[in-house]
Amino acid sequence: MVSTFLAHDLLWGMTPQPLPADAPAWVIDSLSLGQPVVVRRAITAPGHIAVGVRGVSREQRYATSMPVAAIQRRVRPEELCHVALRRDVPALQALAQLRPMLDASGWIWGVSGSAGFELASGIEALHARSDLDLILRTPQPLDRIEARDLLAQLDGSTCAVDMQLQTPFGAVALREWAGSARRVLLKDNRQARLVTDPWQPSLEQVA
Amino acid sequence: MQTLSFEFPAGQPPRGRALVGCVGSGDLEVLIEPGLAGKLTIQVQTSVNGSEQRWQHLFARMFDGQMPPALAIDIHDFGATPGVVRLRLEQGFEEIGHD
Repeated sequence: MVSTFLAHDLLWGMTPQPLPADAPAWVIDSLSLGQPVVVRRAITAPGHIAVGVRGVSREQRYATSMPVAAIQRRVRPEELCHVALRRDVPALQALAQLRPMLDASGWIWGVSGSAGFELASGIEALHARSDLDLILRTPQPLDRIEARDLLAQLDGSTCAVDMQLQTPFGAVALREWAGSARRVLLKDNRQARLVTDPWQPSLEQVA
Repeated sequence: MQTLSFEFPAGQPPRGRALVGCVGSGDLEVLIEPGLAGKLTIQVQTSVNGSEQRWQHLFARMFDGQMPPALAIDIHDFGATPGVVRLRLEQGFEEIGHD
């Protein structure tokens, strides 16, 4: 098992056992059913990884940590690009539409959020109004003109698409990088900050 | 989805307006416009239910000990952390300062 886990990776093997006593019942249900958890951007105790548990409704998101030793299986967003699933929801239609363009883009891309969760687990998480969440691995800079072109293509699809650029220093929303703001929000494991260049962040404002 | 309203005492309205932030989970969009003299009004539309106290505390802390300008602030929240909310508001204030 490779020990570098990245935000949006899905992990199996977490049990309700290490949860605090005040954990909501739906969290225990989700884990008892063997559902995967999602890696979060946060620092946690050694030997543990920061994860989120998903519930059925939008508000049901629970932040906790998972012992690395408990991990049985990992699926990364880029492994889900070509998973076929027959379900008539706009997010999956948009995924099918965008797939050839993203495959041809030269970047590694992946599916996260509800769509990623459903593709990886087979558990219905998408509904008619779900956005499509995508990630793009951008070890090298994607300039703001390229970002605008890419966003225009995503915005042409049948549902709202939310793409996060994963730079070596954290994540930035494609929509914001493609816009006109001088500084954009970069999130890493420790903090959120406003930076002018997500590939060369100098410490500016820290949250 | 819940809509919350807040009001704080304020000074004079500035001239500029600003739109900062981003639609997307964990983030928020903030529109800042000149308000009526003496009043800072904030409207928050949030996907997180039951968060009124959290917002009240956050704003009260931000405007504590200083008279903010008279603004009408419109926030669309997509589950941002308090740290991100604060950054976005500061970014917005900075932008109206530049106009």
